[in-house]
Amino acid sequence: MSNASAMAVRVARHPHVRFLVFGAVLMTLPALASSGIMMTSTLSTLGFTLIYAIVAMGLNLLLGYSGLISLGTAGFMGLGAYLAAYVQDDLGLGFWVAVLAALIVPTFIGLLVGVVSLRVRSIYLAIATLTISEILLKTFEQAEWFTRGTAGKQSSYPVVLGIQTDRSSMFFIIVVALVLVMMLTHNIVHGQLGRALHAMRSSEVAAQAMGVNVLTYKLFAFAVATMYAGLAGALYLFFLKSSYPSTWNLFLSLNVVAMVVVGGLRSIYGTVAGAFVIFAVPELILKELPVIGDTPGLPYIFSGVLIVVVIMFFPQGLRGLTDLLRGLVTRRPSAAASEQAPEEVAAR
Amino acid sequence: MTDVLQVEHLSISFGGLKALDDLSFTVGDSEIFGLIGPNGAGKTTVFNCITQFYRPDAGAVWFAPGADRLARAGHHGTDKVDLVGVPVHRVIKHGLVRTFQNVEIIPELSLIDNVLIGGHIDFKASMLAQMFRLPSSRREEAALREKARGALAFLSIDHLADEPAGGQPYGVRKRLEMARTLMAEPRLIILDEPAAGLNESETEGLAETIRRVRDEYGCSILLVEHDMGLVMNVCDRICAISFGKFLAEGTPTQIQRDPKVHEAYLGERDDV
Ligand SMILES: Nc1ncnc2c1ncn2[C@@H]1O[C@H](COP(=O)(O)OP(=O)(O)OP(=O)(O)O)[C@@H](O)[C@H]1O
Ligand SMILES: [Mg+2]
Repeated sequence: MSNASAMAVRVARHPHVRFLVFGAVLMTLPALASSGIMMTSTLSTLGFTLIYAIVAMGLNLLLGYSGLISLGTAGFMGLGAYLAAYVQDDLGLGFWVAVLAALIVPTFIGLLVGVVSLRVRSIYLAIATLTISEILLKTFEQAEWFTRGTAGKQSSYPVVLGIQTDRSSMFFIIVVALVLVMMLTHNIVHGQLGRALHAMRSSEVAAQAMGVNVLTYKLFAFAVATMYAGLAGALYLFFLKSSYPSTWNLFLSLNVVAMVVVGGLRSIYGTVAGAFVIFAVPELILKELPVIGDTPGLPYIFSGVLIVVVIMFFPQGLRGLTDLLRGLVTRRPSAAASEQAPEEVAAR
Repeated sequence: MTDVLQVEHLSISFGGLKALDDLSFTVGDSEIFGLIGPNGAGKTTVFNCITQFYRPDAGAVWFAPGADRLARAGHHGTDKVDLVGVPVHRVIKHGLVRTFQNVEIIPELSLIDNVLIGGHIDFKASMLAQMFRLPSSRREEAALREKARGALAFLSIDHLADEPAGGQPYGVRKRLEMARTLMAEPRLIILDEPAAGLNESETEGLAETIRRVRDEYGCSILLVEHDMGLVMNVCDRICAISFGKFLAEGTPTQIQRDPKVHEAYLGERDDV
């Protein structure tokens, strides 16, 4: 093989290039919708799926890599959404400032919560995040100057780089954000930061003996997760053009946990797949089914059952399933036995 | 001979139990020093007090990290520091690193990534530089990966570098834990029962390895071990304790002959 083609293969195998290709494939979806092959409502559902994938990526960093649990995802995501609306529509400061506010403010509040709760023991993070999320939810209902309360905050598609966006172009922006988040997450988990998170999850005692300041890294993971939630909240707002307090409840936080567990802990593509299964499958498929499609609370039942099934039979989630299938196809000993996520193998 | 570690009058109690009672011993430069005692004597507790997982009720843990490390840490006009009160995660910066009685490795990571955890404090690139894979952070990662490969090679497990640590046999995991300590360029390595769970030939290899680490890395080694064959074979000096109290200190021959040591082990084991 020539030098140049060897180089080309190396570039093509680089995980970041794969993320770009993945993003490019997703970018074709709006064309499918506008040409009538796919319903526009389906495009919306997929857009929200990708937004949830972004939040879930943050929770995977917490739950999967660091072994920490947050039940406050919905609150931070909602805060991102309302901040984006407030900055764009009430203050008129535009898209970028809105996104920046949605990134920074939740992260800052998240860090404060982390500093207070993580000093004690990790389990208090669950309680503290649940509490702060409920406080935020009450605030969304009460602070009418900020959120318009239960009447709901209305917004509009943003102007980005001088261009008025619409549903399709917002979908592009969501894809770009997701790809960036995937790259960033990949960088985090495949370097010293990720190893420190792994060490901390595996044994705090050993991690400390190796010089890992456990509090710093817990805060780091928590800050990144909160930042992703804030970003996802802003994207949600711009994609739906409205926000209601009832969206940001505990069920959403639990659903994000379900996405991570079902997709597979510590897997980047798995997280996206988890978001699809937990959010898009009930929307696109279950609701269309005859007889059971009208069952009230069907999505709740679906994610509940899935979590139990996954924990009992597929502890590695969808990621484990793909490894298993690949093992069957190539007839080598089941790759599911090795604990490597596909992208981790690809990184070598 | 200068001393690397001076444990002075160490005491700690848990509830009513005096786990350590006025214990003192010193580990010399390039010395292999054994700490022995019956089950529950307080050996692991000594290690935890030295590495600051436990804060002793009384006593001092004087450690001589070497001139360059002292200067870096801003200590002048002294050649040793008292580790008592140093935050746990800073202890390794002094060149003091340990293994654990029940092997603490990360099963999901490859061997080489596990070793790289041992080099955690050598990463100087900022979090942001790492998140965006800036050239400085990539260079650093590559250099330390090379060093980690060297540590694996030193323990003859470099052929497994990219395998997940979780599936490895016990012997490999123990060697992996040892390789990880080498990343810190240690002045003193503390080994808690390095031979536990190893078969006879592996234990023989271990004695050889411990000496090689001492010779090549120029560090001291403090080990707790129940396998008396290994202890007597590899240690320059030994300290025996029982119920947290000092019993005897000396060369392997002196310890073997000491009546107090015999008494402490009486009825418990007969291989001393
Ligand atoms: N964190 C703790 N809380 C309460 N008691 C403790 C604690 N750590 C140790 N001990 C007690 O201190 C005593 C000494 O324990 P230690 O683990 O140091 O013994 P050891 O010499 O390492 O024993 P072994 O050979 O079995 O490993 C034991 O009685 C143990 O129960
Ligand atoms: Mg012990």
